[in-house]
Amino acid sequence: MFFRMVKGTFVKQWKKMLMLALTIALGASIATAMLSVMLDVGDRINEELKAYGSNIIVVPQSEAVRSKLYDIEGESVETDYLREQRIGELLTIFWANNITDFAPISDTYADFDGSEVKLIGTWYNHHFEFSKKGSVYERDTGIINLRTWWDIVEGQWLDEQSIGSGEYAMVGSLLAREHGIKVGDRISVTTENSSEILTVVGLYDSGDIDDSHIYTTLPVVQRLSNTENLIKKIEVSAITSPTDELAIKAAKNPSLLSGDEYDLWYCTAYVSSICFQIQEAIAEASATAVRQIADSEGKILEKTELLMSLITFMSLVGATLGVSNLVTSSVMERSGEIALLKAVGAQNIQITTLLLTEFLITAVFGALGGYFMGYGFAEIIGRSVFSSSVEMSGMVAFVVTVLIFSITILGSIPAIRIVLKLRPSEVLHGGH
Amino acid sequence: MRSDRQFFFRQILSSALRRRSRMIIAILAIIVGASILSGLEMIYYDVPRQMSSEFRVYGSNVIFSPSSEMDISEESIREALSLIPQKALEGYTPYRYENTKIHNMPVTLAAVDFDSASRTSPYWHIDGAFPSSDGEVLVGAKVAEELSISVGSLISCEQTLEITEEIDTSKISSYEIYTDPETGEAYADHKLDLKVSGILDTGGSEEEYVYMSYSDASYLTLVDRGYDIVEVSIASTHSELQNILSRINQSALDISAKPVKRVTASEGQVLKKLQALFFIVTVVVLVLTMICVATTMTAVIAERRSEIGLRKVLGASDSQIVTQFMTEGLMLGGLGGILGAILGYFFAQYVSMNVFASSITMRPVVILVTILVSVLITGLASLVPIKNAVKVDPALVLKGE
Repeated sequence: MFFRMVKGTFVKQWKKMLMLALTIALGASIATAMLSVMLDVGDRINEELKAYGSNIIVVPQSEAVRSKLYDIEGESVETDYLREQRIGELLTIFWANNITDFAPISDTYADFDGSEVKLIGTWYNHHFEFSKKGSVYERDTGIINLRTWWDIVEGQWLDEQSIGSGEYAMVGSLLAREHGIKVGDRISVTTENSSEILTVVGLYDSGDIDDSHIYTTLPVVQRLSNTENLIKKIEVSAITSPTDELAIKAAKNPSLLSGDEYDLWYCTAYVSSICFQIQEAIAEASATAVRQIADSEGKILEKTELLMSLITFMSLVGATLGVSNLVTSSVMERSGEIALLKAVGAQNIQITTLLLTEFLITAVFGALGGYFMGYGFAEIIGRSVFSSSVEMSGMVAFVVTVLIFSITILGSIPAIRIVLKLRPSEVLHGGH
Repeated sequence: MRSDRQFFFRQILSSALRRRSRMIIAILAIIVGASILSGLEMIYYDVPRQMSSEFRVYGSNVIFSPSSEMDISEESIREALSLIPQKALEGYTPYRYENTKIHNMPVTLAAVDFDSASRTSPYWHIDGAFPSSDGEVLVGAKVAEELSISVGSLISCEQTLEITEEIDTSKISSYEIYTDPETGEAYADHKLDLKVSGILDTGGSEEEYVYMSYSDASYLTLVDRGYDIVEVSIASTHSELQNILSRINQSALDISAKPVKRVTASEGQVLKKLQALFFIVTVVVLVLTMICVATTMTAVIAERRSEIGLRKVLGASDSQIVTQFMTEGLMLGGLGGILGAILGYFFAQYVSMNVFASSITMRPVVILVTILVSVLITGLASLVPIKNAVKVDPALVLKGE
């Protein structure tokens, strides 16, 4: 009898039930889409913030301040170097997957067109292979992704993968203007060690001191400065977790942490733990966070996540009210039917169970449809804004299910109680 | 005619009163929809401005440098700053650079005002404290390492000064003037003892400098002059920033203002993504909420089919019924829209205060659009079910089928 009645409702009142299911689906899809985007927004914005360039610098441990402070013209300065073959150790650390880009950098002063110019040798889109203990690590990396703010005013980026790491150069716009350099020109640079002829492939505008420099490939600078297989520093861009109390405590001295704290710190992608691991991997190096970039990321992330979670909360409240509203109104609508049931002797509990069963069945279909619809919306948002898909977590499905069922029950019970209080004779007489 | 109109409004009023619960449900749906609309719209419009202010944690985004050989005077800084809207100016720090020697090692010293430096460079991490008075100095981590000095150390800066007319030799007594026997130029060795109040750690080139107050620098060099560079933090969108910079560069001041490309270009890129995110989120949430409002309105009207049937039997024409129901719907939409827009404003304000600790700009256009959209959606949502309802044969409806 009970199931026949439930079936009857869905057969005879399918339009109303469909409308209810549709509204529940809409509510569920808002909840799914917003929650998924909210949970994912941190990672996505973190990736976008990589536009600011490297957040970790790796230098030789005993690097003397002297070499940087006085670039005394013509005078050779003693400097410490890192060995180029050690770069690959970066990829062996615990958080290697969080390292998005890195580039070794070496520089030297050379005589160009009668004046002293700084030459920087680095990787552009270098294909890098490193093998250690039987595992092979491969990366395409370089400075292109670490200088996103550069404008290429003429020509193009030095494309190592198609032209090789040979005698090519990119020239700063200021220097190019002073010396009338154009793309395709061959420029000659000389040091006491050697002399090189470089082909200009691009002119860039960086908006800073680099505009008066020449960027070339690493081997060229190494030959010019007679430092084969040596580099001055490595710029590293890593995705990091925002700094919190534990990170601050650890940054002072990791050995002061308790065992558990140390494990937690080591296994969290804090900028300080990544630096620590780099130093473990490359013993002669010192890795430091670039605070301007590393600290700021955390603050921007925090704001974005807070903003997103408040908007999500508001959308959830909206969806909740929308769904419970319609559930309430569809109970009201059926007051005649409820009164009739009462008049023929049905007990309140029976009527409540009947209605709840019907609503919950509708809610199951609505929520299921809504979940996939919401997944679609989240995907649209992810693809169109960040051109990557939004990760779906099981937690979202769980939260949405709980939310929809509690809305359905909470939205219908008060209405059912009101209707049950009405006297059947009045309702059936049409006096409501 | 007049009584007709009275009757019309009495009908609407009584329907609102008698069917209170349904009306509440309908208007609640509209209010929720409208407040989401106005709230999200306001947040969307304000995000670039608010976020730009947050992005100043990356440091200053504009550099003033002298356009001539001269240094920058305080008056021209003040005049240039007056060309920037007060609301957008987050802070500025003039720097004056000098070469000096500490314990016989040459270093570059930068004279700054520490209060403003901490505002334009929020990422400065200091072991110890900012200098609180003259005679205290902030030392970059690399210099500190090289000189093996720590917080609390006493250092002395030595300056070899060429005695020229600029120098006020009467000011100080702790120097000795001597003459270079070859050139005949007069020199003085001037010393200043300072206490290290903090070590600066940034991971960048700032670690290679020594920072002190303007008056200490003037005392050390015996010259009181202008500034070499001014770091300015301006919170504004990309195009506004371009306008501000061109205004300053076109003014007759001896200042050339340039954006710090690394900061401005990257910020533009990230902000573009953020705004796109909020745009699409707003659109998706809006579309879904509007459909929600529409289904609720449809349900509320479909329920009143027997009323429509009765009215038809009593001789009301289809157009009369449609007009009456539409008026009801539009009035609901308008009322819900007004209440929702106000509620949305408070919501946006709450979000803004919590996230950015600054108030949101009230935009009358947003309120107006919200009300119009609510009326439009409610109207459209009512139209279809009403049209369907009047088509029905009254006899069937009243019989209860």
